[in-house]
Amino acid sequence: MLPFMVPLWYSPFALATGNTFIVKPSPRDPISQVKLAELFDEAGIPPGVYNLVHGGAEVSGALIRHPDIKGITFVGTSKVGKDIYQKCGEMGKRAIVQGAAKNFMIVMPDANTSATIPALMTSFFGNSGQRCLSGANLVIVSEEDIFYNKFLDAFVTAASKIKVGYGLDESIQMGPMQSVDGKERVLSYIERGLSEGANLVLDGRQPKISGDYPDTCFIGPSVFIDVKPEMIIAQEEIFGPVAGVLRAKDLDTAIEIANRSRYGNGNAIFTSNGKSAREFQYRIESGNVGINIGIVAPMAFFPFGGMKESFMGILHGQGRDVIRFFTESKVVIQRWF
Amino acid sequence: MTLNTASEVISLSRKLEEESKSFYQALAQRHPELSEHFLSFAKENEKYTREVERVYYGVITDALEGGFTFRIEPGDYRISTKLQEEISLARAIGAAIKMEEKLQKFYMDSAEQSKSLMADIPRAFAQIVRKRQNRIEELRAMVVMNLNRHEFRSSVY
Repeated sequence: MLPFMVPLWYSPFALATGNTFIVKPSPRDPISQVKLAELFDEAGIPPGVYNLVHGGAEVSGALIRHPDIKGITFVGTSKVGKDIYQKCGEMGKRAIVQGAAKNFMIVMPDANTSATIPALMTSFFGNSGQRCLSGANLVIVSEEDIFYNKFLDAFVTAASKIKVGYGLDESIQMGPMQSVDGKERVLSYIERGLSEGANLVLDGRQPKISGDYPDTCFIGPSVFIDVKPEMIIAQEEIFGPVAGVLRAKDLDTAIEIANRSRYGNGNAIFTSNGKSAREFQYRIESGNVGINIGIVAPMAFFPFGGMKESFMGILHGQGRDVIRFFTESKVVIQRWF
Repeated sequence: MTLNTASEVISLSRKLEEESKSFYQALAQRHPELSEHFLSFAKENEKYTREVERVYYGVITDALEGGFTFRIEPGDYRISTKLQEEISLARAIGAAIKMEEKLQKFYMDSAEQSKSLMADIPRAFAQIVRKRQNRIEELRAMVVMNLNRHEFRSSVY
């Protein structure tokens, strides 16, 4: 039960370890999975080994209940994930459940600004913020107004220059939201942020679209400042191109703010100081940790893991973990006479 | 128009390699005595394109991820690949060296500007810079090796 191309976190490992695999794509973006299944077919994978089943919650329920299905992997919201994890528990099935995220990008005053800004643009606005590894809260660590203002200005200026339009035009930097619903959800969070007292310094609600396209699903980059950790926009996953900027006096405070989140998927620090990086990597409660990396996606040979409400299960996706997930282990104790 | 996205830069890289390849293929036809060298350069050009694309698809998980890194001005790397009818071998090699230097600069700038992406990407560009340096040296060596040939000498001096 996986969106977009996320099945590739699992299917190659499942097939390589001798399993058959059923993908139930998200009903919101099934086309990439149809294409992938066609490629599997073309590659000569025998019938029944890689399977594609479309549908919604009913189909998911049937898959979870089916006695021949030994395990479930899921990527989606934590709410649905929790339900699936619970049902898998009741059915005695193993499960990898990857849920929502609210990722913190912490910028230290010693960060290399010119390298950090593009990484943050990618993080916050790549894929229009529609991925579990997107940056959501930018925490600028600085007691001094000079660094805070300078960095904020660079961030907002870069975000305001992002070219929004048709995603398959290679000069376009940010495409549309995946659906009208998605856009509506983002707009409602922007309204929420305003009502909570955050200051919208970059408003993407009326984006300038490159090319002649209807604005049905388009939304531009938006940046809130004066965001407080207790605000809803700082806590909930918006899943869109909205950055909330918080300010912390030091690294301890920044880590404390990030660790207060109920999610722990992919948090990162931008610094040129080894001590800060080490402090961060040990103390941050996050399954994927980035040091000067905006999208902390591990390569396929490392496990992809979240913490807290971003993950339910024991073994993570990818890497050795997922090999163990798709196989049975045995211990042989022997004596010979 | 400034190129910002990785896919635009890769398209430019593909175009430049394609133009450079055609240049060496034409040169090989014109000078069979050195065709082996020139055709191997043309083949390498295809390899460079593949190397960049492989890293891009292997490391950047979606096209937009590399969408904010570059500030490449394509006009800065325009190369002249047209071989004039009467051009001597020496001048043609001279033109090749100039072209290679420009391409090297393109990859150098791309490597520098992509440092905020995964290290594999600037590394791939930097590797092509190094390989191009070897090629420039090889082209220079060709000039030296052929200095004694009459046709070559007369065109150099």
